[in-house]
Amino acid sequence: MFRRLSIVVLLAMLSSGAGAPSPAWAHGLVLVMNSGEASLSVVDMDTHREVRRIPVLREPHHWALTPDGRDLLVGDTAGNELLDLDPATFALRRRVPVADPYQLGFSPDGKFLTVNGNGRNQVDIYDAATLKLAKRFPLPRTPSHLAYAPDSSRVFVSLQDTDELAAIDLRTMAVAWVQKVGRVPAGVLWLNNRVLVALMNDEGFVVVDPATGRVERRVHTGAGAHQLFLSPDKKVLWVNNRVAGTTVALDSETFAEIRSYRITGGPDDIAFAPDGKLWITQRFARTVAVLDPASGGIETIAVGRQPHGIFLNPAATAATLSASN
Amino acid sequence: MDSLTYPFDLAAGWLQEHAILPALYALGLMNWEEVAYGWALFAVYGATQVVVTYAICLPLERWRPVERWPDSRAVTVDIFYTLLSRVGLLPLMTFVLFYRVQVFLTGWVTDNGWVPPTIERVFPFLLGQPVLTFAIYVVILDFSEYWRHRLSHLFDWWYSLHSLHHAQRQMTFWSDDRNHLLDDTIGFVWFMAVALLIGIPPMQFPLLVLLLRFVESLSHANVRLWFGWLGERLVVSPRFHRAHHGLMAAGLASVNYGGVLPWWDMLFRTADFGHDYVPTGDPSAEEVLATGSYAAQQAAGVRRMVRTVAGRGAEPAAQSDPV
Ligand SMILES: [Zn+2]
Ligand SMILES: [Zn+2]
Repeated sequence: MFRRLSIVVLLAMLSSGAGAPSPAWAHGLVLVMNSGEASLSVVDMDTHREVRRIPVLREPHHWALTPDGRDLLVGDTAGNELLDLDPATFALRRRVPVADPYQLGFSPDGKFLTVNGNGRNQVDIYDAATLKLAKRFPLPRTPSHLAYAPDSSRVFVSLQDTDELAAIDLRTMAVAWVQKVGRVPAGVLWLNNRVLVALMNDEGFVVVDPATGRVERRVHTGAGAHQLFLSPDKKVLWVNNRVAGTTVALDSETFAEIRSYRITGGPDDIAFAPDGKLWITQRFARTVAVLDPASGGIETIAVGRQPHGIFLNPAATAATLSASN
Repeated sequence: MDSLTYPFDLAAGWLQEHAILPALYALGLMNWEEVAYGWALFAVYGATQVVVTYAICLPLERWRPVERWPDSRAVTVDIFYTLLSRVGLLPLMTFVLFYRVQVFLTGWVTDNGWVPPTIERVFPFLLGQPVLTFAIYVVILDFSEYWRHRLSHLFDWWYSLHSLHHAQRQMTFWSDDRNHLLDDTIGFVWFMAVALLIGIPPMQFPLLVLLLRFVESLSHANVRLWFGWLGERLVVSPRFHRAHHGLMAAGLASVNYGGVLPWWDMLFRTADFGHDYVPTGDPSAEEVLATGSYAAQQAAGVRRMVRTVAGRGAEPAAQSDPV
């Protein structure tokens, strides 16, 4: 597919608007993917205000940073394209036609890019360097989230509508196994040699053996467990519970609950700020919640409709802006 | 735009969080949560459409009615049609179907090395110009609606279904949505084909859709209202659309097929800017199509279509008046 992408469209219009340096941006930027209204919100980390809204074609959901950290890819599912942005300024570099890119991610070794086609029932593995399609795996139904084994040997994909988790072997380029893991699996995370899968129609996540797909353990977090995130220091496992309306902090070793926070509006994705705060998209509230785990204090920031993916770059300073321009 | 849509999104979000999500969770249907939210948005905007239309059109109808009826019982069923199509199940089906088909087909097109068509890709300067983009979509869709409507009068089997819309003799702002389910289905497939071709986004212009649907409701209102010489030629007015519903115009050769823009009628010479406020109805329709219950009207529509198709050739004079 990427063969045909030599005709990559450069949209001068878009990039010109998004890249102008401004002193107000001095303390870092957050990019929020407004899946319900075809736009990206750029939020100033310092003032907590939206400083810019970037129009996209249809429905941006998730993002992936290239292994060298130089390109931020945002998937526009219904728009069938990847937006290649400058992670320091969020200026658009190019638009790459890709079918239905829902969640996407580069393998830890930097060799592959996996793209889940949620509405197309397919998982596409691209060569990360050339962005050439290496192999397409038809995986019904609704491939949702993904996680890699740290040695890049496998990628694990939750299949939402069939309650399954699929393991794709990246060395043999074959499906290793597809196993039932629980009702409506969503977020996937590799932790301590195990795969954790959040279950949206259950009360928490399951711990899965990466070799066989067997469910070893169930951990209670709250109704509608949706996404799992590991804190930057790797000590805390954060789980967002969509139905319960909570964000729960667990000990990443024992899975013992440390604290539960009330986050309304359907908490979805999380980005971690250097000051220890969590930036959480509130899917049905048109806001991002900034949670201070220490105090439990929450501040909300207005963004666009159905904010989903969130990317935070504290290094996006005024200096970087002018350097990259 | 943001502050205008905020209350709607807030209401839909509240509905989603406090009613829909718990229900889906209890039923084991959490994989439908995205679709459900889409429906919540549709329903909130749909309900607002109904309320706004009611608040504006009712005083207008009281102020200068074209007709006064001893009782308006025949209007009740139109209220049901309206709620069903704007708040109830129809928007849910529309959203689910359209969204799924769109994602699947455009993804398939991309997989095959083609860039799926969207107006914004053809004219990149439109990105970030939502109002202008929407205006272009409206013109294209209204054009396609003109032809769908005109063809539904041209083909006798199709008109058998569409006659349900015309049978109403007590036409009010509620009458816009009174359509046969099959007619609606054809209309939906028609819309979907065009929308896919031009790549229309489903939920990006809710307020403008609200405005357009208001124009369509108003055009059915029982009110002596026209927009002046120029206005009549810019937007479909109650007088203009009433001519389409006129007793004499019912059936295979009508006038003023346009939904929102009268331009296509002018272009294809079907416009009638006459100054009369004519009585409405379809004399060829059996009585139940005008005054029956929802179910009875639906059944009568199918009956009429079957009769039309079956009667073809055998009794050529069956549909015409015994002179
Ligand atoms: Zn008609
Ligand atoms: Zn009409």
